[in-house]
Amino acid sequence: MLLNLIKKELLIEFRSKQIILSMLIFGLAIILIFALSSNVSSEILSSYSPGMFWLMNLFIVVLGVHRSFAYEKEFDAFSLLVSAPINRGQIFLSKWISGFIFITTTQLIVIVPFFNLLLLDIPENLLLFILTSMLINLGMMAIANLVSGIVIRSNFSEILLPLLMFPLLSPLIIAATKISSAVINAHSYEVWNVWVLIVVSIVVLFGLAGYALFDFIVEE
Amino acid sequence: MNLFFNIRKNRIFTSFVAALFLINLVNIIFFTPMIADQHWAQKIFYVHVPSAWVGFLSYFVVMVSGFMLFIKNNDSWDDVGLASAEIGTFFMGLVLVTGPIWAKPIWGTFWIWEPRLTTTLILFLFYLGYFMFRSFGGNIERVRRQAAALGILAFINVPIIFLSVQFWEPEIQSHPQVEMTSQPEGILYPFIFSLISFTLLFVLMLRYRSYILKSRQTS
Repeated sequence: MLLNLIKKELLIEFRSKQIILSMLIFGLAIILIFALSSNVSSEILSSYSPGMFWLMNLFIVVLGVHRSFAYEKEFDAFSLLVSAPINRGQIFLSKWISGFIFITTTQLIVIVPFFNLLLLDIPENLLLFILTSMLINLGMMAIANLVSGIVIRSNFSEILLPLLMFPLLSPLIIAATKISSAVINAHSYEVWNVWVLIVVSIVVLFGLAGYALFDFIVEE
Repeated sequence: MNLFFNIRKNRIFTSFVAALFLINLVNIIFFTPMIADQHWAQKIFYVHVPSAWVGFLSYFVVMVSGFMLFIKNNDSWDDVGLASAEIGTFFMGLVLVTGPIWAKPIWGTFWIWEPRLTTTLILFLFYLGYFMFRSFGGNIERVRRQAAALGILAFINVPIIFLSVQFWEPEIQSHPQVEMTSQPEGILYPFIFSLISFTLLFVLMLRYRSYILKSRQTS
C-alpha cells in the first residue's frame, strides 16, 4: 500500500509538474535576489553561502509541501484518502518520501546555479555535499509534512504553515548550515559529526512522531 | 456552574498563594543580599529563573495533556492543555523581557544567543503560531487533536533545540541558572522560596483558567 501511495504522489507530480517546477523557479528567483542584494567580498559571501543555501531551501520547502497537500483539498480528495481503509501513518510516509524526492531533485538542479550566480566555486567534495543535504532533506520533509498535515484544513494554512514550521525547523537549520559549511571548507568529520547526530535524531524523532500521530491529526 | 471563587477551597488556596507571593516580593526587594558587581540587576533572577521554570513546566503539561487527550479522548484535557499553553507563553514572555533587562548592564548587550534564552524564544514564537492555529484552525474537534499533536511536537523538540544552540555557540555558556546553584545560602534559599511561590502560582492559574474554559463549554 505504501508503494501505491508513493506512486500516486509521483504520478500526480509527473503529470502536473506543479511542485518541482514551482520550487525550481522560486529557488532560482531567491538566488537571483541573494546575488543582487549581497554586494560584499567573495570571502564574506562564501562564509554566508551555507546559510543562504538552506534559507533558500526553507522557502521552497514551504511552497512545495503546501502545494503537495493543497491539491488534496481539491474535490475533497484528502477526506477520501483518510477515509480509505489504510494505515494513516502510511499516508504520512508517502508524503514524506515523495516530498524528499521532490526537494532533492530540485536541489540537484539549483545547486550549480546557486554557486555560479553568487560567483562562488562549486564545492570540491560535491558528492558529500549532496549526500549530507539529502540527510538534512529527510529531516526537513518529516517536520514540514507533519506540520502541513496539521494545518492544511485550517482557514489560513499558507500563513500557519511557516509560522509553525520555522520554529520547529530551527535546530535543523543550525545543523544544516554547520554541516554544509564544514563540507565546503573540507573540515574533518570529527568536527561536524555531532551535527549529523542531531540531524539523525530529528529524522528518527519526527519520522516516528509523524507515523504515530498522523492518524489522530487527520481524523475527521 | 459555580464561580471559581465561590468555592471555598479555591478561595483558601488563592489567599495562600497571594500571601506567599507578597512575602516573596518583600523578601526579594528588602532582605536578599546585594551582589557587589550587579547590584539591583541581580535581583531580577529571583523572577527570571522561576519564570523560565514555570514556562517550561507549562509546556511540559501541554505535552502531557496532549498525550492524555489521545489516550482518554476526554476534552477536559484539551482545556488543561490550552490553559497551560497560555500560562506558559505568558511566563516565557516574562523571561524574554527580564533576560535582556539583566543582560544589558551585565553583558553590555540586550541579547546573546545563549542556549536557554534561544530555546525560550523559539518556543515562544512557536506558541504564538499555536494560538493562531487554535483561532483559525476550523473544525473545533479536529483542532483539539491537532493542537495536542503540536504541543507534543513542540516539547519533544526542546532538547534538540537546546543541544543545537549549545553546540552552535559553545563559547556562550555563562548563564545565571548555572551560577544560582552554587550561590551562598543567603541567595539560594530566597531563590528556592521564589521558585516554590511561582510554581504554586502556576498551579492556581492553571486551575482557574481550566475552570473558566470548562465552564464556557458547559454553558
